[in-house]
Amino acid sequence: MSAITSWRVRGGQLAVVLVLAALWELASRSGAVDPDVLPPLTKVAGIVWRLLHDGDFLADLRITAFECLVAFALVVPLGLLAGFVLGESQTLDRTLGGTLQLMMSVPKSVFLPVFVLMFGIGIAQKVIFAIVLAFFIVVPTGIAAVHSVPRGLVTAARAFGATRTQIYGRVYLPAMAPLIVGGVRLGLIFVVHGVVFAEMYGSTGGIGRSIVTWGEGFQMDYLLAAVMLVLVATVTLNETIQAVETHIRARRGAAS
Amino acid sequence: MSVQTPDVVVARDVGMSYPTASGRFMALDRVSLTVGDGKFVSIVGPSGCGKSTLLQIIGGLAAATSGEILIDGVRIAAPHPDKIGIVFQEPLLLPWKSALENVEFPLALRGEPREARTARARDLLALVGLTDFADSLPYQLSGGMRQRVAIARGLVRKPRLLLMDEPFAALDEQTRTRMWGELLQIRAASRATIVFVTHSLVEAVYLADEIFVMAARPGRIIERIAVNLPRPRTIDMLGAPVLGALRNRIWNLIAEPQS
Repeated sequence: MSAITSWRVRGGQLAVVLVLAALWELASRSGAVDPDVLPPLTKVAGIVWRLLHDGDFLADLRITAFECLVAFALVVPLGLLAGFVLGESQTLDRTLGGTLQLMMSVPKSVFLPVFVLMFGIGIAQKVIFAIVLAFFIVVPTGIAAVHSVPRGLVTAARAFGATRTQIYGRVYLPAMAPLIVGGVRLGLIFVVHGVVFAEMYGSTGGIGRSIVTWGEGFQMDYLLAAVMLVLVATVTLNETIQAVETHIRARRGAAS
Repeated sequence: MSVQTPDVVVARDVGMSYPTASGRFMALDRVSLTVGDGKFVSIVGPSGCGKSTLLQIIGGLAAATSGEILIDGVRIAAPHPDKIGIVFQEPLLLPWKSALENVEFPLALRGEPREARTARARDLLALVGLTDFADSLPYQLSGGMRQRVAIARGLVRKPRLLLMDEPFAALDEQTRTRMWGELLQIRAASRATIVFVTHSLVEAVYLADEIFVMAARPGRIIERIAVNLPRPRTIDMLGAPVLGALRNRIWNLIAEPQS
């Protein structure tokens, strides 16, 4: 894509966002939609600003961010490593592959009550639930990453005298890089999803609990403000990681 | 075992078989050959005659089920990158490394200091005529250029023996014909002994001093033919009667058992 068309696309995307924002504002102000259900965008934006200066809310935000960070830091290396081992060993893949498929297709949220009974409603439970949710998404990415390593490159490296360690470090790792970054991205999305969802189900703190409280109290302006904050945070992180992924692929001449 | 011998490659009764659903499959049956120092040897034969397998065994990438391979009089069973360079049918370049870094790769694996290996890799890129493309990534190069990078990489550790497994099979005819001339020049400059596996009879005759003809089921050598074309070989020789006669003789050898 040339620079000019790229800017045209970006301009178009911005226009879509602006039109949607204007429609939201108009619909609410004109009374076409009940302003109690959908408060005007400008009002919600004002509340976002107020929340960012509210000590209680910031404390909740910190709890959520902390839970996400811990779960993310654990599940991504763990999931990728498990995927790597499964992807490398045909025997293990055959033995555990079926179970893994099963675990992937099970909706993890139905186990939330069990998690609460086992781990309470504190930080540990949010972290563990998020890890379980994200693990079964990251593992298949790890397996796919191993399978994406071209066998010919491994044979060639062996012919040039590469040791096993060198083959893993200098062929596998760089060859898997795009899919590893993809796994990191999926891990992040599902960790945030898991943490916020677990907070909404039962929690003593965190942004998920705030969202539920405001929802039950019919404070749509606060609820939407919190939703927008979560949205902006995850979209920004996601786009950043995606940019890394695109950059790696582009450098190898592969279509992103 | 270390017998002093002028032959760079000695294969003695090399056999390769593996179990299949319908019994043991004989990929190679008691294959013996010798390749003299500095010789260019072609191996030709129909698909499935085991010529690529034989090359992999000589390169230490696959293990024979019987027999032995001596390189410079020393028995080998694993890759030996300081003695043997390999060029595969696909260039198999690391897509995230530049042409120069790809040529450096075998030296980097040996832990050679950066400056020395870059200098050596630049020499090799010059040899294959790619000085101006040192910083290009593989996807930015044409198929012929990629294969030249692969040849430079195969020669970078100054091997006595260069194994080439149908290296020009994926190239178009024009590029392939040009690569023949370049390969012969590169060979003259590097003085490496070359074992060259190919489907193309013309290619085999044009390049080689000697040709081993193989047959399939079981894979075996059925004839050893000396190529009496003078060197340097020129493109005009492609139309020479000697070349055509040799090509036809090999064709009859290969075609006979199948008809």
